[in-house]
Order: sequence, then structure tokens, then C-alpha cells
Amino acid sequence: MRRFIIFLAVVLSLVVLFAGCKKKEDVIKVGIAGPMTGAQAKMGTDFKNGVTIAMEEWNAKGGVLGKKIEIIVGDDAADPKQAVSVANKVVNEGAVGIIGHFNSSCSIPASDVYNRAGIPMITPASTNPQLTERGYRGVFRVCGRDDQQGKVGADFAKDKLKIKKVAIIHDKTTYGQGLADEFKKHLGSAAEIVYYGGITQGDKDFKTVLTSIKEKKPDLIYFGGIYPETGLLVKQSREINMIVPFMSGDGSIDPKFVEIAGDKAAEGTYLTFSPDPKNIPAAKGFIEKYNGKFGELGPYSIYAYEAMNILLAAIKESGTTDGKVVIEKLHSMEFSGALGKVKFTEKGDVAGSPYVIWTTKNGKFEEYWKP
Amino acid sequence: MLLQQLINGLTLGGVYALIALGYTMVYGILELINFAHGEIYMLGAYLGIIFLGLFTVTGLTSVSLPLALFLTILLTIIVCSAYGFTMEKIAYKPLRNAPRLSPLISAIGVSIFLQNYVMLTQGATDKVFPQRFGDSGLQFLNVNMTYLQALIIIVSGVLMLSLHLFIQKTRMGKAMRATAQDKTMASLVGINVNSIISATFIIGAGLAAVAGIMVASYYGLVNYYIGYIAGIKAFTAAVLGGIGNIPGAMLGGIILGLVESAGAAYISSEYKDAYAFIILIVILLIKPAGILGKTTEEKV
Repeated sequence: MRRFIIFLAVVLSLVVLFAGCKKKEDVIKVGIAGPMTGAQAKMGTDFKNGVTIAMEEWNAKGGVLGKKIEIIVGDDAADPKQAVSVANKVVNEGAVGIIGHFNSSCSIPASDVYNRAGIPMITPASTNPQLTERGYRGVFRVCGRDDQQGKVGADFAKDKLKIKKVAIIHDKTTYGQGLADEFKKHLGSAAEIVYYGGITQGDKDFKTVLTSIKEKKPDLIYFGGIYPETGLLVKQSREINMIVPFMSGDGSIDPKFVEIAGDKAAEGTYLTFSPDPKNIPAAKGFIEKYNGKFGELGPYSIYAYEAMNILLAAIKESGTTDGKVVIEKLHSMEFSGALGKVKFTEKGDVAGSPYVIWTTKNGKFEEYWKP
Repeated sequence: MLLQQLINGLTLGGVYALIALGYTMVYGILELINFAHGEIYMLGAYLGIIFLGLFTVTGLTSVSLPLALFLTILLTIIVCSAYGFTMEKIAYKPLRNAPRLSPLISAIGVSIFLQNYVMLTQGATDKVFPQRFGDSGLQFLNVNMTYLQALIIIVSGVLMLSLHLFIQKTRMGKAMRATAQDKTMASLVGINVNSIISATFIIGAGLAAVAGIMVASYYGLVNYYIGYIAGIKAFTAAVLGGIGNIPGAMLGGIILGLVESAGAAYISSEYKDAYAFIILIVILLIKPAGILGKTTEEKV
């Protein structure tokens, strides 16, 4: 036994040694951060896949500024605390820019780190308005904002569904609660809010909350949160025999949502999201490549891909990886690619980002309503 | 409404109680808080998915669903018990006479190991439990109760009762109680203390396995870290009822489930996890040994 332990110790120390002496190469490193493990690992993997395709395309063309591109993957596990340490790690490893994070609650604290390091950060998916309202010059997003998203959801509920009573639930995160609050604000006095409350991310039992809501007889349940909870909420509401339509945001538009809730329960759920990339002609090449390599396109794969392209294009135009120059270039350039034309506003948001309503039908998502 | 919430709470409480039993049994005998116990529950959930998947592929589920379910539960209990047994032999037995902090640290190590082991072998994403029961259920007095909810309440009740009878009426149970009272004295009267400790771990793991399968099929969603929060809650339940006391763990689990449901329903769902711990603090202030716990003199 003792001999075995000694052997194990020797093996382990060798591993550490080998890890320590990795060869240094002349490459340009881009950080990619998001939840690679944990309940939302699917979203992080989608990011990584999208960015990988962009990296390979650029490397096939000879890289940028004559150097090959390499990615550093940072796993924040959807946890704000871990996001900050991952941000520091990625910066220390010499990233010239960051694609990420996924959750707004991670992007916001991590943006402090990137701002201090003076490198640009482009998030493919963090939609909380706060992120770009803090005056950081180097923070960008290629997705929309929750105030736009909440407004479209509220308009749909008022004009199309003509609801009278609504129950609003959120997951207490920056994204979830922010989205729920925007929805509530834009709904105004058009409908009576019969319930407003939070649940805990990662919890599995929502029957008590749903039972309380059932008694108030709402016409619609709005949930600000991410797909694991959305799936369970929808499933459990059907189990207590509450057949009320659900509406949620872009964090729920994932095949896993339908899988968790079950085809039957998920049917007719409304989701606010950007228009289907399948309808953008320029995205066709990317989608085919993605399907061939990684399978079905994730909701944010294309945003991650395009964020990477935009960052690399700005570096190429700048002729340097100096963060300050690249950030100014990002502000002034106009990009054209898989998401159509992209131009950043002074704050770092995309100028004019339309949201539409999607719905689930036979276990698939499809566009349903345009404002 | 009240009745519906009561049923929701009982389902939750039954599961907490089943896991809490494993904590309390081990503590009763070894005075060790087995922090890896929650991971056994998580393993149970995963194994349930794996075995049920296996039977679906081999076509047994379409031949006889009850038989397939029975075999799934049986196999999961066996494998989880093996994990419990091995865990004790590898991580705790060599530390039997070490200071009390060492096995505790060892337990945390086992917990971290098992979580990462499952993450690496099964992937980091959520697994969805195949739905076998549909969403139909019983309806009475304006209350909906899924068959699974009924099953969870009944199964946990039956298991707790049989465990109680086992501990109180059988020779083995008597030997366990004796070992819990005084290990040295028990070995002097001819009880094989080592095999009693192994049996304790095996039974505890088996109960957690059942809880794991039931919860996995009830919520339909499993990941590698569900054991952590379930473990903490079950530990709270065990302490609430009086750690080391078996009826106490059952009572603690059910109280915890009911308090959480009532709190989430009538006060606010935002602090659902807090209610459990508020109750714990209150009980510890009033009755430090737990509801059913007896204050014992420090053993000399």
C-alpha cells in the first residue's frame, strides 16, 4: 500500500512538471468564457463550438497579423464568484480579447477585470441592460438588451394575448430578475399582476409556488430565468393541473427545455428571442459547417461565432493587439457577417436589435409573432 | 390549497427523511458526519437512469414495465450499497482511531471525488430522466397528486417503518444499538463491530439510492451536484430530529419538508432554503440535542 502511494505521488508530480513546461509559441490568444460545466454547460459548449469554427476559419486563412489564433477556455460554471477568478486567469494568460460570458450576473463582475486590463470584451448572450450602462468603453454585446426584450414580451401579452391577470416569477439572478422587471414595467397597468416572486436557481421543487399561483387564476405566467428551471416550472404546473400558457426569455430557448418539460407540457410556450438565423442568407455557410461538426445549432452559437469574427476583424484593421486601439476600432467599424450588419453604439450595444416571439410546436421552436 | 401544499411538503419531507437516516445511522455508531452520503443519493439517481435506459434498449420495459422498474430499483440499491461499503473500507476504516477531524476531512474528500467522477464519466450537463408515468395522477378534493408523489410518500413510509422494526426487533438491530452505545463493550460481548459498521453503511446507502431514483423520476432532471444541497438539507433534518436518533431523522425530514413548503407558499418563495435553516437555529437554541435527541454525558 505504502509503495503504491509513493508511486502515485511520483506520477502526480511528474504530471505537474509536464504541465509546467509547455512550449511558448508566438500566437494571439483570445479568451472564451462561459459555463462549461454545471446546469448551463450546454450554453458554454455552444459558445466554444461557435468560436472554434471562427478560429479555424481565420487560421486557415493564415491567422491574424501573421500569427495563429488560439483560444483559452474559461469555465465560470454560471457562478459570479468563479467568473471573476476565471476572468483574472484568462487575462493573466495573455488574452487580447474576451468572448463571453453567458450569464449577465457573470459578465458584469467579470467586466471589471477586463476593463482594468484594458482589453475588449464581447458577450454573445448577456442581455441585462446594466452591463453596458456602466461606462466601460471596452464592453460590447452582439445580442439585444432585456429592456428591448421585456418590451416585446409585454406588447405581445397586451396586444395579441390580451391578458387580464399575469403571474411573474424570476430566478433572483441579474438576468432573470432584470428581465422580469422589464416585462412588468412595460406591461404597466394593462394587466393585473396577481403574483410576483422569486425562486432559487438549481432548486427542483416549485410545486408550492405554483400551487399558490394556481389559486390566483392568471391568464399567463411569465418567467425570467434559464431553461432548467423553465422546464421544471412548466412540467410541474401541468402536474398540478394548471393549464396556463408560459412566457419566458432567450435563456429558455433551448432543446433541453422541451426535453425537461416534455413535448406535451412545453407545447405553446412563448419565448422572446432574436429572429431565426436560418432566415439570414449570410449565416447559411456557418450553420452547415456547425451542423456537420457539432450537430444541432445552439441558440447562441452563431452569436459567439460572430463575436469572434468581429473581434478578429477589429484586430486585423487595427494592425495591433493593443487593447485601447482595438476597442476604438470596434466602436468605429461596421461589420457585416453571419448576423447581417452589426454596428456598435457608444455604449457598446448593437444598434437596433429586434426581438420577436417564438413558440414551441411539436417539441420544436419556431418564429410566431413580430411586433 | 392547504391539502395540496401538505402533499407537496410530505413528498419533499419523505425524501429528506430517507437521506437523513443514512446520516443519523452512521453518526449514531461512528460519531462521524458522512458528508459523502449526499453523493450516494446522486449516484442512485444516475444509476436509475442508466439501468432504466439499459432495460429500454434491451426491450424489457415494453415487455413488463413493473418488472423493469423493480429490477432498476434492486440493481441500483445493490450498486449503491457497494459504493457505501467500499467508501467505509477505503476512506473511514483506516482512520477509525485517528482524531475525529481526520475522517471528517476524508468524508469531504470522498464527496469531491464522487462528484467529479460522475461529472467526468457522465458529462457536466443535466440528464433527463425518461418519463414513464405520464403526468396523470389521482384527483380528489380539488387536489392533484401524481402517482409518483403517492409512490414517494408510500415507499418512504414503508422503508422507514421497516428500518425501525429492523433496528428494534432483530438480532442485527440489537447489535447495532449496542455498537452505537459503546463499541468496545459491544466487541467484548462478541459483536463483530466491523461488520456492524459495514452493515450500517450498506443500509444507509441503500436508502439513499431509493431516494435518488424516486427524486430523479419525480423531477425528471439529474446532475452531478444534486447530492450537495440534498445532503445539506438531509443533514439539517438529522440534526433537527436529534442526530444519532433514527425516529428523529424521520421526524426531522418530514418537518423540514413541511416547513419549506409552507414557508414558500404562505410567506415568500424567495427564501425557501432559508426556512429550513431558521427552524434549525431555533431548535438548536431551545433544545440543542434536537427534537428527539437525548442529552448524553460526554463519554469518558
